[in-house]
Amino acid sequence: MLSLSGLVFLISGCMKDKITRTYKISTPIYEVLSSFREKIKSQPAAPVETTGKLSVMGKYIFLSEPYKGIHVIDNSNPAIPKNISFINIPGNEDMAIRGNTLYADAYGDLVTFDISDPKNVIAKNFAANVFPDHSIYFYAGTIPGAAINPDSINVIVGWITKDTTVDYDPGGGVYPVFYNNCPNCMAAANAMAPAPSADNNSKVGTNGSTARFSIIDNFLYTVGYSNLSTFDISKPWQPAYSSTVQVDWHVETIYPLKDKLFVGTNNGMYMYDIQNSPGTPKLAGSFTHVRACDPVIADDNYAYITLNDSSACLGFNNELQIVDIKDLANSFEVKSYQLSHPIGLSKDGNILFICDWKEGLKIYNASDVNNLQLLKQFKDDVDYEVVAENGIAIVLAGDGLYQYDYSDLNDIRLLSKL
Amino acid sequence: MKRILLALGMISIAAISSAQQKEASKPWQFRSINNLGLLEGETGSSFQLQTINGAAYKSWFAGIGLGIDYYRYRTIPLFADVRKEFGQAKNKPFVYSDMGISFSWLTDNQKMNYRTDDHFSNGFYGDWGVGYKMAMGKNDALMISLGYSYKKITETYPSYFAWYPPIDDITRPQVNNPPKEQINYGLNRLTIKIGWQF
Repeated sequence: MLSLSGLVFLISGCMKDKITRTYKISTPIYEVLSSFREKIKSQPAAPVETTGKLSVMGKYIFLSEPYKGIHVIDNSNPAIPKNISFINIPGNEDMAIRGNTLYADAYGDLVTFDISDPKNVIAKNFAANVFPDHSIYFYAGTIPGAAINPDSINVIVGWITKDTTVDYDPGGGVYPVFYNNCPNCMAAANAMAPAPSADNNSKVGTNGSTARFSIIDNFLYTVGYSNLSTFDISKPWQPAYSSTVQVDWHVETIYPLKDKLFVGTNNGMYMYDIQNSPGTPKLAGSFTHVRACDPVIADDNYAYITLNDSSACLGFNNELQIVDIKDLANSFEVKSYQLSHPIGLSKDGNILFICDWKEGLKIYNASDVNNLQLLKQFKDDVDYEVVAENGIAIVLAGDGLYQYDYSDLNDIRLLSKL
Repeated sequence: MKRILLALGMISIAAISSAQQKEASKPWQFRSINNLGLLEGETGSSFQLQTINGAAYKSWFAGIGLGIDYYRYRTIPLFADVRKEFGQAKNKPFVYSDMGISFSWLTDNQKMNYRTDDHFSNGFYGDWGVGYKMAMGKNDALMISLGYSYKKITETYPSYFAWYPPIDDITRPQVNNPPKEQINYGLNRLTIKIGWQF
């Protein structure tokens, strides 16, 4: 037995484990940036597949399809909304509207559109790499907003993916492979110059509470992962980068109210004053809470924060927090309400609308913040965003866009689904 | 799993005692082989335990085996065992072949080394070798064997390092569904076993 054991030890060196790693390897498909940009424009209406962000401007709803573009919906009759066109914007996540101008991101670029004809939206200007957090075709050193030559830059527009199996050493570790940039991605001078234009219509579209873009007067405010950037849009088709201030890590949303900005982050709400220096927001106060995902809205007296336990935010709470903001420097929690998994919210007068994920849309009478009264609940689908104004609540759900008529609080009813 | 093993052990003991009372005059005779083994390979040395229960006919034996195998990842092999003895002497050589499935059953320590969303799936198990049987009474025997053992385990996990477009984690948490990667462990070992046959 001992000799057998010895034999085993001696020849076991011939025994090698065969360990392989199988994964998908993707090879990028490139397109020159100038050609890529030519395709950023209106296309015929397309079915809504995945709903993203929401902006309401007059009789039109702009509904984003994450990373693909924006659907334009004619909502002249909320009972019969019509999907009339699709603006192709690869890499789009957010938007804001003022007058006939739409501002939208395309990966790291800010694109300015003329939407005076919603069926024929035209890109008027590209501000390159102003959102470095989302840039995929610029070198890290490219200065935000700097002029570039779009003919010298390649953009990844697709991937050829195939399964690959390689020998693997479990002890060797695996390191991330980032396809952050592409060959020949060089910033260059002489960007195409946008034609100056005037836009006297200063009406601003209403964004949902999960928006990361916001407009107050002549400034567009956007939030990145950790900062708040400002663009001067006094020349609507020539947004000019103004400033960036650091906020906190993992910034999520921005909400405008008169001369204040409310920024939601994983750790709390940050309130900025833009009264005296709209191009450089000044921190006026903050309210911290447990770690969670947290869209925020506000009125003159209170901020309404929904906390949810999405895994990406590593949180555990699912509740509505109401914070007294009469003195921004000394805000404090008034009351919290347990909810299922609240996300988007909106407020019209004393009526508070909360999207509570699988629990659907909850509508409260919030005239007394210490005693919210549930008026109505709709469990149509997984709801996550709402804009309520003029008696119509527009709700984004997992399976489309719903509209509810709340002009009569005793008869709140579903008007349509798209 | 512990309950299953305990139940299988009790069934085996009951079957052994019952079968041994009846077997004396039948051409097919119930046999139970219980092995303690050493596994030696690139990963290092590990132990294994096996119980194989079946029927012997002349110089042939066929049975079903269940074991526990600690090499690299703890697994439970469930296999068919066929063996052939040579010669008429009381002490004689034999060859054996085992093939079946290796069920993954990681220890708590092994689980701690991996992400909670890792999944270890079952794979092929095989063991082939030669041995020598030494009779220790009418039906009992001591057996030693040397063989080649193989087990396969597949680990599947989310591909954390893949490239994605930026994901908005507020509104679209459900899209955060990365593709899967796999690590296939084909583990080659030499094994030496000492066993007792009833």
